Amino acid sequence: MDKLMADLKKQIISQLNLQHITPEQIGNDQPLFVEGLGLDSIDALELIVLLQQQYNIKINNAEEGPKVFSSVRSMAEYITANQPA
Amino acid sequence: MKLYIQATGNISPQNTLGQPTLPANLSEYNTNRLYSIEPDYSKLIDVKLIRRMSRIIKMGVAAALQCLQEAGVENPDAIITGTAYGCLEDTGVFLQKMVQNKEEMLTPTAFIQSTHNTIGAQIALLLKCHGYNNTFVHRGFSFESALLDAIMLLEEKTVSNVLIGGVDEITDFSFGITSRFGLFKKNINSNLNLFDTPSKGTIAGEGAAFFLLNNHPSQKDYALLDGVSTFYKPIDLEETEHHIQSFLSEQSISMNDIDLVLCGRNGDSIGDKVYDDLNERLFEQSLITNYKHLCGDYPTSTAFALWLAAGIIKSGSVPEALMKAPKNDIKRILIYNHYQKIHHSLMLVSTC
Repeated sequence: MDKLMADLKKQIISQLNLQHITPEQIGNDQPLFVEGLGLDSIDALELIVLLQQQYNIKINNAEEGPKVFSSVRSMAEYITANQPA
Repeated sequence: MKLYIQATGNISPQNTLGQPTLPANLSEYNTNRLYSIEPDYSKLIDVKLIRRMSRIIKMGVAAALQCLQEAGVENPDAIITGTAYGCLEDTGVFLQKMVQNKEEMLTPTAFIQSTHNTIGAQIALLLKCHGYNNTFVHRGFSFESALLDAIMLLEEKTVSNVLIGGVDEITDFSFGITSRFGLFKKNINSNLNLFDTPSKGTIAGEGAAFFLLNNHPSQKDYALLDGVSTFYKPIDLEETEHHIQSFLSEQSISMNDIDLVLCGRNGDSIGDKVYDDLNERLFEQSLITNYKHLCGDYPTSTAFALWLAAGIIKSGSVPEALMKAPKNDIKRILIYNHYQKIHHSLMLVSTC
């Protein structure tokens, strides 16, 4: 899980071009949106594509989104639970 | 009605940002692509916003902010931009991803930022400006069309000031494609010697020049914008001369009243023949200089020319870097440019 979260932080920075922060500055449980990293709805779409491209995981139920993308840990847990066999 | 150029902001292949006129030390290039000298954008734009901006958007936004800062205006009444090719880099990224990913899993950012009006929109978003916002995309007339719209808005008095700019960028995609048409010279020793040995082709350029136009004086204005005119594909030199003379007549002046002609000569022997012919006839008695050796050729290069002319009018003299024998007491400048002999434009600026 720790390795997955470390990878995710690098991928989030790369995908969203967050030049002003480093992976170490993103907490595992830090909120990604609004008060945390300050991401917005466009970033949410970028993260959905990231999951598809990097982990071959599609979020079919839109209502799951806020929960899945609430933090790096929640993303890692979702990936672990839904990784294709 | 008098239209005042209150402030300017210009990012170009010369060191022009924050400068009222051309710096003494010109930037020299030995390539056929003149890229802009870009500032540290993080000092001008919020880093959280920069991350989604491609180069052209950063250039445009930074030049616009510099212009407003100089004017001391936080929020203009209207924002108008002119661009021929728009946000090419993001367009290229988006199209490439469409091909690579077989039209699936496309990320939204490049698509959202690829439209021509993104620069004007980003400026408005940043300033929270809800006023009139428009972008003109008319190839070699893009900046001039934006100017005409600004003039009409100011003359209608629906606004009292307008932030207006011309922006275009070079990308590897665009340069590769336009090079196939033979538009650019192969070997360049120096952009500053562009006119010394006429040959086929020119040098590619880019830039973002913004202006705050006002229908009231501000005590710190650069110049008056007296008029703008465009004409399309003139049949011959006589038609070109006729357009220029009509434009001057509309201003109740003649060539004798022009202190300096700023020409869009670009080093291409075919296109420059138009300027050569005019120099022997209509411009025979005029002081003439050029600007495309400084910024390269691109469809909205006249925005750079307007910046240069406004600076000359404000200082009253042609910079030594532009003309070896400096000329003082410049009160009225005619800018004449043609883009690939198709889009011809005229601009007249004078002292306030």
